[in-house]
Amino acid sequence: MIKLENVTKSYSTEVTALQDASFDVAKAEFVFLVGPSGSGKSTLLRLMNRQEKPEKGEVWVAGRNINDMPDAKVPHLRRNIGNIFQDYKLLPNKTVFENVAFALEVIGRPKHVIRQQVPAVLDLVGLSGKQERFPDQLSGGEQQRVSIARAFVNRPLILLADEPTGNLDPTTGEGIMRLLDRINKTGTTVVMATHDQRIVNMMRKRVIQLDRGIIVRDQARGVYE
Amino acid sequence: MFSRLSYTFREMWASLRRNFTLTAAAVITAAVSLFILGLTLLVLRGFDNQLSQWSGGVELIVYVENDASPEQLAVIQQAIESTPDVIDVDQLQYLDVEASLVEARRLFAGDPETLQLLTAENIPTQFKVVPQPDASAELLTEIAASYKDRGLPKVIKVAFPSKQIEVLSTLRGVVQFVLYLITLILLFSAVLLIWNTIRTAMFARRREIEVMKLVGATNWFIRVPFMLEGLIQGFVGAVFASGGVLTANWYWTSTVQSFPPDSGFGAFVVTGNYPQWVVFWLMILGMLVGAVGSGTAATKFLDV
Repeated sequence: MIKLENVTKSYSTEVTALQDASFDVAKAEFVFLVGPSGSGKSTLLRLMNRQEKPEKGEVWVAGRNINDMPDAKVPHLRRNIGNIFQDYKLLPNKTVFENVAFALEVIGRPKHVIRQQVPAVLDLVGLSGKQERFPDQLSGGEQQRVSIARAFVNRPLILLADEPTGNLDPTTGEGIMRLLDRINKTGTTVVMATHDQRIVNMMRKRVIQLDRGIIVRDQARGVYE
Repeated sequence: MFSRLSYTFREMWASLRRNFTLTAAAVITAAVSLFILGLTLLVLRGFDNQLSQWSGGVELIVYVENDASPEQLAVIQQAIESTPDVIDVDQLQYLDVEASLVEARRLFAGDPETLQLLTAENIPTQFKVVPQPDASAELLTEIAASYKDRGLPKVIKVAFPSKQIEVLSTLRGVVQFVLYLITLILLFSAVLLIWNTIRTAMFARRREIEVMKLVGATNWFIRVPFMLEGLIQGFVGAVFASGGVLTANWYWTSTVQSFPPDSGFGAFVVTGNYPQWVVFWLMILGMLVGAVGSGTAATKFLDV
């Protein structure tokens, strides 16, 4: 589903965010990217949805080399990728329903599809009774669920999560991980960057560890270390 | 399709309301610049009306009573053509009763009293005389005087207002330069203000734009509401400017009509389809100003 071949990315002559990174992620796989701040986890995620382009190497997503992809095609690539962030990135002036519907509306989905898919995904993330609330009327965990619903409502092939439990207490974080695990079991590939040792150790999924832009470990059913 | 349209208009309207003060500033600047441009076009048209009877290098007009016989006209024409070294014989033009009436209707549009007095029975016909390029003013004055002195039949008067034409032409040039310059500066300010309004609108919605890009909205889908917002600002400015121009023209026309006949301002009244033509171009220009301002901003600031 995702393939990186000898990818190097630097932001300046002194800072190399990623160096000669290569790995494959299979369909429906769950992968943790771990490592200290500045190790290149977020850069990897940004390369996968073409927010960044590498200096060297190739990034393949769903069978396509996305480096060569014309800019006009990038929106279509992103419709197959859901994104989840530590700070949720919800729109404060829109309700829960509207925040999720927004993702469908801006890619031109008709109203009847929106009316059908949004309640279904809100039900999946456990927020069916709260669709008229605004983000500031929700807890952190609930806001992250809205963010997951928005990322998943278009049934993407891939979910990229950047520290999704970073702002949550351990119990709430566990709830979010159970939700991501359920989504992964529907066949969606999940790539998650995290610092959260407890969660990585609890889930026992594949772990790719980075250190100063270099992949130092790629382990199936790994732990944080 | 419908949901995209409804999204576009909803977002555009919300943004216009959210940015009300900046929007108002952009609209007012566009309106003022377009209003001045509209007035400039009308004023220049007034000058052209005034100058039109002297267009094509005409410097002498020989007015003839309209009951002059063809023989008498031939005598006059012969006299004028007798000095080919001073007069350009090929460009000599005779306006008969009908042609003189058509011209009078244009010249006295703002002076209905005089116009009313002119009929097919009493309007003078006229010879429009173009001098040779190297003919001196003194020589022309002499020639003009000679037409009367020679006792040519039915000649009422010879008009030779070279100084006034020169003054009027110079004045037209100055007015054109100053007003176009002011218009250009103000139109540029309007573009900048619209550009800035759109930039502010995009900054206010940067998170929304970021989310839109991440969920796969195309750049055009994101851009269109902002571009439409600028277009509307330019259009509303043009509507206000057009209203102002039409009102000013109406006020000027009614004021001039109350002046005494032969006040000299009659030709400065602009009638016919010209004011509508000006309004049409103000609308087009207003929307162009809006589209340029918002289009460049929406393209430049899309990377958030």
